Amino acid sequence: MAEDMDISKLLKMRRYEQPPAGHVDDFLREFHRRQRAELLRPSVREILWERLMAIAPSFRVPQLAYAAIVALAVSVSALILTQQPQQSPAVAQSAVEPAQPALSLASSKPVTIGGAVPVSTRTSGSMPSHYVLQSRPVSNEQPLSF
Amino acid sequence: MDEAPETPDLELVARTQAGDPEAFDDLIRRYYPRLYGLVYNMTSNHEDTNDLLQEVFSKAYRSIKGFQGKSSFYTWMHSIAVNMSINFLKKRNRRQAMSLDDEDAGIQNDRDFLEATTGSDPSKEANLSELQQRLNAALQKLSHEHRAVVTMFDIQGMPHAEIAKILGISEGTVRSRLFYAHRQLQNYLEEFIKR
Repeated sequence: MAEDMDISKLLKMRRYEQPPAGHVDDFLREFHRRQRAELLRPSVREILWERLMAIAPSFRVPQLAYAAIVALAVSVSALILTQQPQQSPAVAQSAVEPAQPALSLASSKPVTIGGAVPVSTRTSGSMPSHYVLQSRPVSNEQPLSF
Repeated sequence: MDEAPETPDLELVARTQAGDPEAFDDLIRRYYPRLYGLVYNMTSNHEDTNDLLQEVFSKAYRSIKGFQGKSSFYTWMHSIAVNMSINFLKKRNRRQAMSLDDEDAGIQNDRDFLEATTGSDPSKEANLSELQQRLNAALQKLSHEHRAVVTMFDIQGMPHAEIAKILGISEGTVRSRLFYAHRQLQNYLEEFIKR
């Protein structure tokens, strides 16, 4: 029977696969129903918001508050730590500069007592300070006597 | 009385794009039978075919504003149907819920069928019915891409060039897929045909 039937002929037999007569009207009705349903279907954003609102009351607020505070503290600390190394050398220099005049004032205008040798010169050297009375060096410290 | 000439596809498309949903209904009426044959021969299941066609037309309706007429509406609709059918088959393969028991409704009108069954020989009828079932099974064994080409060329009678446009491949690829698919089908049905 089928010896003379090649594959193409066999396949052509399937071209009569059609929907039953009048089925297209049912199909259209179903299509319109689905289109209306699609219009009423909420968007993804609406669904997400709705779900978030649904689970929000189950959150434990105190724990969340602690977590928020800890997170804030950590982020502020990190901010401070990261800011310090970033300070520019120029800014650091300008912060040091005002101290210099004070030092130079002290050194450039030595204090003199009665036109004698400036105090600054008396303290120069590695020797400890002392007074000379009657050609004998006398310390200004009290001698230890027991 | 002469029938009114059929409104061109592009006119119906333009009316749909302008917001006339009844124009799209006309397009559905026009394309439903053609696409039914295509999708049914891909899925071999009437329920799946109906569901899938709902999705196909729904997608076409949502996307029709982007249709610029670079290809014909026929090619555009067939591309959507074929691609969605292939995606559907890939998903269905995972669940393997497939019925091959659907009888081919219109086969009784086929000349080859009538020739083969004249004389009302019960053994011939049984053979042909079995052959159709075997053919169904053999088609299901083909890859989705090969089945799509066989469906469009052998069953729907589309030319190679049209199939190439629908699938976005070269005509040479269409021909080679057909050659391979026919050879596969011959192998699957060889035992039955020789007997």
